[in-house]
Amino acid sequence: MGAAQASIIGSDQRKANREVAVVGRSVIFKIKRCDGPGKPWRWESFKVPTEPGSNVISSLNWIAANPITANGKTTTPVVWDSSCLEEVCGACTMVINGRVRQSCSCLIDEYAPREGDEITLEPMEKFPVIRDLWVDRTRMFNALERVKAWVPIDGTYNLGPGPKESHDHQQMRYALSECMTCGCCVDACPQFSKQDDEKNWESSFIGPQAISQARLFNEHDTGKRLKDERMDTLTGPGGIQDCGNSQNCVKVCPKGIPLTESIAAIGRSATVHAIKNFFTGK
Amino acid sequence: MSNNPATQASFMQRHQFLIRRLHSLTGILPIGVFLAIHLVTNSSLAWGWFALKGRGQAEGLSIAEGGVQYFAHEVTWINTQVPHLFLTEVTLWLAIAFHCILGVYYATGGKGNLVHYKHQDNFRYTLQRLSGYFGIFFIFYHIATLRWGWTFLIPNGTKWSHDFSASTLAAALQGSTEGWTAAGVVVSLFYLVGVSLLVFHFANGIWTAAITWGLTVSEHAQRRWGYVCAGFGVSMMLAAWSALGSAMLLDYDTAQAVEASMHEPYSEQPHIEAQNESAEINNAITLQTDTQDPDG
Repeated sequence: MGAAQASIIGSDQRKANREVAVVGRSVIFKIKRCDGPGKPWRWESFKVPTEPGSNVISSLNWIAANPITANGKTTTPVVWDSSCLEEVCGACTMVINGRVRQSCSCLIDEYAPREGDEITLEPMEKFPVIRDLWVDRTRMFNALERVKAWVPIDGTYNLGPGPKESHDHQQMRYALSECMTCGCCVDACPQFSKQDDEKNWESSFIGPQAISQARLFNEHDTGKRLKDERMDTLTGPGGIQDCGNSQNCVKVCPKGIPLTESIAAIGRSATVHAIKNFFTGK
Repeated sequence: MSNNPATQASFMQRHQFLIRRLHSLTGILPIGVFLAIHLVTNSSLAWGWFALKGRGQAEGLSIAEGGVQYFAHEVTWINTQVPHLFLTEVTLWLAIAFHCILGVYYATGGKGNLVHYKHQDNFRYTLQRLSGYFGIFFIFYHIATLRWGWTFLIPNGTKWSHDFSASTLAAALQGSTEGWTAAGVVVSLFYLVGVSLLVFHFANGIWTAAITWGLTVSEHAQRRWGYVCAGFGVSMMLAAWSALGSAMLLDYDTAQAVEASMHEPYSEQPHIEAQNESAEINNAITLQTDTQDPDG
């Protein structure tokens, strides 16, 4: 993980903040709110008391119990999505202080150490908002289907034992397998555009997440049977060629997945695939 | 299921991959290769004297004069010895047009977010696009004025000439044949910014091309190749700046004198054709000196 993980929001700064965090302070949450798809959005601020170790989700819980803005106006509870609360499901991903990350692992002490410090919460910008901080990430799961991110083992006969894999190769694939489809990489990608209409999903950039998963299964001895089909998708509209090499994806990935290496590896496969197709394809 | 939208997709979408790879390729060949040759040739204004000294031909020449002589010789060589020069040029212009149009088409498809994601790579992503936009204007101005002879875009309208390559370049940059003018400062700054951005664009472009084509896969390989690209970019930058600096510091009359003296050997050639040609050149020289330098 190392470098990619450390660069997310400046770990030194966060550590320093944690050490000076004032006990018993209140902080301001400035939240971008929206009542539903197609509805206008607005900012609302909430003054939330902190306790040691409190995070964005526990603060949102407090707001849900006390839906009163900093100005004393009663409002609706803020809606968000979350599940595992240990940074492995990806459901609570949102934009915090302008950067995308999981909110469950976002400690208030690291972000707002002094009385009255402000934390901004926004829904991810590349997905349709369902309500407030809750977004619809279906497009990413659709992308996994498009690149056939699985090992084909269904059939009419026993395929026998799985292929043997070297330790190094397994380690490489393990890093890729950690992807939790959270959406950080695509949200920070300047080439990945928001598409509310499902019809446009197949023609706009598929994003680093699906590219990296295609690599994971291309690298599997049984999974590589679908490699040509995956590469057809990834050299089609919205494929690998839309990458602009800003390399934001790898910087924001909470799992430190080497997404830019995956992009380059798929770029290499795409070069070979295209040349092969030119001379032997249909 | 998935085939239907694909067949309905536009030509650009169906061939997106191929067109995008051609965009990457044209940036290196021919455009990038040409840029490197162009900058090295132009920088001979700075190092030409040393090259002449190495051959023992720098007797009595100042460093500026030597640079002019070497550079003028290079320009003559290109215009007389490069086969199918016009075809080469048209190929280059078409490649640049393709690269520019596609580049704008792709760049407008992205949405920069450097404000929130301040990373070195993201900065280069952004600058790559900005330098591309700026480069289009710069290249157009550069070719229109110094190649197509649109003198109305040059301060005081000194037309660039193959036979007086260094002096007329100096006049175009300085804004007149008699030293600096305010318009010349603007043109020179435009050149400095334009050429620097384009050198960056090329150096960063070969870094990203290596990822695009799948040459550098691992993070370490990308970093190593990054050092190579940075080194190359710095060398090209030095070539560009030394060429620009030399042309900016060049005295118009000194350069004219060197260039005029270089055309003399033509008249000593025995062939009739050559004599006709040299007569034309001599006429051109007299015309040039008559119209632009009444004292000469």
